Amino acid sequence: MSSRASVTEAAPRPGGAAAAGTSAILLATAPTDDGEPAAALACEDTTVLERLLAQLRDLGVGHATVITRPGWEDGLAARLGDAADVRPSPDAAADLRAIATVARGAGGDIVVLSGEIVTQREALAGLLADPRIATGILTGGGRRSALTFRVRTVRGKVMSAASPYHSVKDPTIGFLGVLKVAAADRGGLATAAERLAGLLEPAPDPAWMEELHRKGLQWRVRLATAKARGLVDEGEPEKEGPLERELPEEEPIPAEEVPLDADQEAKLRRRFTVAHEDVPSLLLVGLVRGGTHVSSTHLRRLFWSRPFSRDGVERAAGQILGYDEQKVLLDSAVKPSDGFFTTFFVSPYSKYIARWAARRGWTPNAVTVLSLGMGALAAAAFATGERWGLVAGALLLQASFTTDCVDGQLARFTRQFSRLGAWLDSTFDRTKEYAVFAGLAIGGTQMGQHVWLLAGAALTLQTVRHTVDFCYATVQHQVIGAASQPPLEQVRDVARRRARGAPPRPPRPLTPRRRLRRGLRSWHRFDEWDWVVWGKKAIAFPIGERFAAISLTAALFTPRVTFIVLLAWGGAAAVYQILGRILRSLA
Amino acid sequence: MTAVAATTTAPGEPLALYRDDGPLARALGPLLGGVVRVPGPVLMLAAVVPLVAAIALTGDTASDGLAAAVVAWAVLAGGAAAGRPLGGRVRWTVPPAVRLLEYAGLLWLASLDGDAATRAAFVLLAVLAFRHYDLVYRLRFQGATPPRWLGDAALGWEGRLIALWLLLALDLLPAALWVAAGVLAVAFAADCVAGWKRFGRDARPLHFDDEEDEAA
Repeated sequence: MSSRASVTEAAPRPGGAAAAGTSAILLATAPTDDGEPAAALACEDTTVLERLLAQLRDLGVGHATVITRPGWEDGLAARLGDAADVRPSPDAAADLRAIATVARGAGGDIVVLSGEIVTQREALAGLLADPRIATGILTGGGRRSALTFRVRTVRGKVMSAASPYHSVKDPTIGFLGVLKVAAADRGGLATAAERLAGLLEPAPDPAWMEELHRKGLQWRVRLATAKARGLVDEGEPEKEGPLERELPEEEPIPAEEVPLDADQEAKLRRRFTVAHEDVPSLLLVGLVRGGTHVSSTHLRRLFWSRPFSRDGVERAAGQILGYDEQKVLLDSAVKPSDGFFTTFFVSPYSKYIARWAARRGWTPNAVTVLSLGMGALAAAAFATGERWGLVAGALLLQASFTTDCVDGQLARFTRQFSRLGAWLDSTFDRTKEYAVFAGLAIGGTQMGQHVWLLAGAALTLQTVRHTVDFCYATVQHQVIGAASQPPLEQVRDVARRRARGAPPRPPRPLTPRRRLRRGLRSWHRFDEWDWVVWGKKAIAFPIGERFAAISLTAALFTPRVTFIVLLAWGGAAAVYQILGRILRSLA
Repeated sequence: MTAVAATTTAPGEPLALYRDDGPLARALGPLLGGVVRVPGPVLMLAAVVPLVAAIALTGDTASDGLAAAVVAWAVLAGGAAAGRPLGGRVRWTVPPAVRLLEYAGLLWLASLDGDAATRAAFVLLAVLAFRHYDLVYRLRFQGATPPRWLGDAALGWEGRLIALWLLLALDLLPAALWVAAGVLAVAFAADCVAGWKRFGRDARPLHFDDEEDEAA
């Protein structure tokens, strides 16, 4: 476990740093319209690149190399002094060879990132200082900035990635230009970089150029749409929200004659220039296609932007100032995938308890044990079988559950992750729940009810439901692990169905399996509405809902009612989830 | 998962591990699995349905003979499933079905004896649940599994069902259930502590998957 940063009363500083021996390679190769390095644009009282370097240094990155274009190296070297080695490189292939040389050398983790990124230290820390991520990338979702290429992730693993020359089917999220490569994967990085450099020289394959052309047409259409909607579309902050629908790949795009004004034509030209040299995205494709396990970590609600003009940097600097970083960090410590009750009735205040605990230097494990203690007290109160005991037990159980949420938020907030801590957290959750069942059963017996059988049934149901979750996840991991990657030369991540220009194939017959897939797709279409998603989560009867149901029914009624509610709601959840997963398995 | 502790059994197929088969099921598997050419999930369904039906129809009034027949069928069908290859798209349904078979069966058998035995059975189930969650969480967070002999000493799901029926027939409930729960609790907890101590001695990279999408 990394040592915690000292925390002061005024500003609890999230802990964690990059692994010892981490070095960085920054690409300051993108130009502004004036032909200057965009990374050297003034930002606050420094430059974008120096700001980024300072953030990396603050995170414990020891050594930094800046790759830039010939003619810019002297200016950059003069500014940076001994903060970084500046190396001139004529083009993307040379960038890749330089990166391969660094990666072939000995050392720790390597971070490869675009030098034009304006973001918060904590966004970088989310990737660099998370000990659970070996090789990984920073991702952000939502409204697509054309300056990011997208990836498809499944359970936090990058399955496929796009680059200027590679496309990805069904992308889930955008790659924000920061790639961390674990020391163990340096060889893989070097191999990928060398292969890519070879493929870019002397000129990329025609199929690659065709893909870039296709992307260019999409950007043209999107710039026109953005204009029509009155959006500022340059390095804008990533907004949460559904992804834009990808234009159909096989159909002719509304073509070159989409009109753009002079300003937009300039933007489009810049996109092409930047895309040609988007080395981080190329490396990501190289690693993923080469079989390296690449994890993804989400930007969550922090700020990210990649501006290429003075205006763009000013806008970004203004927006980043508007962020209350403490608040954003605390919000980011909340688990994004929690259920309705936890999200709306616990996390809004439990995160402040997490901050309070962080200020006092409490460890997540201590909070986990505290939560177990309160759970045991709740069980003891339930066991009295008196009305006051049932009410007190209900309150104690809620307190215990809040504390349980605090430990995870504290761990994420201070980045103190440990394997034992994760084990304790999971095991104690189950222990609390079943101890409360026992307490309620004793209490029910005191009240003259025969509830041990119901308690045993509730325990059986919950354990079976968890076993379904575990085993379904295991099989999904197995399927993900078995997925094979197409060769690096291939543009698309799936086999092309037909050659361009070939006569269209007759429609495939509608087999039961395809019908099922269609049905599931239309089922997921409802997920566009928030309330549908929350409803689906509530049906699944997650822990927050379960504990709330226990507290409410025990305080107002009797243990017998509690068990009947648990069995009815849990039984419905089991049927819903098992049937849904069987259908998805068969599709 | 990254590293695997050298001192413990290397985890094989997790789904096979989560079944928690005992010596009898492991012997029955190859014996019956080769003869009964039915997919594992279907065999498990065939094992679960009679048990659930018996519970629903007879409740706590079932005769020892009916209980014996249901338990024997559950062990045979579930044991045969242990011998079937773990392929198939719905192979993830097998371990939860084994859990349902075991827990519902134990609870039902104890309830035939009366309230006192039911209470003891709840405690036994809680102890067994600790083991079954521990199998999952230790594999996930430690990359290690408890030793095989411990699982064998605990008889496996099928051994426990048979043993409880015997205890019921010999009229040894609920005392025997309390003893079993106590002994197993000490054994599982001691093994768990020993496992973490062993794990703490060798440093390894902190790289694990944080499952965040469970019903939790």
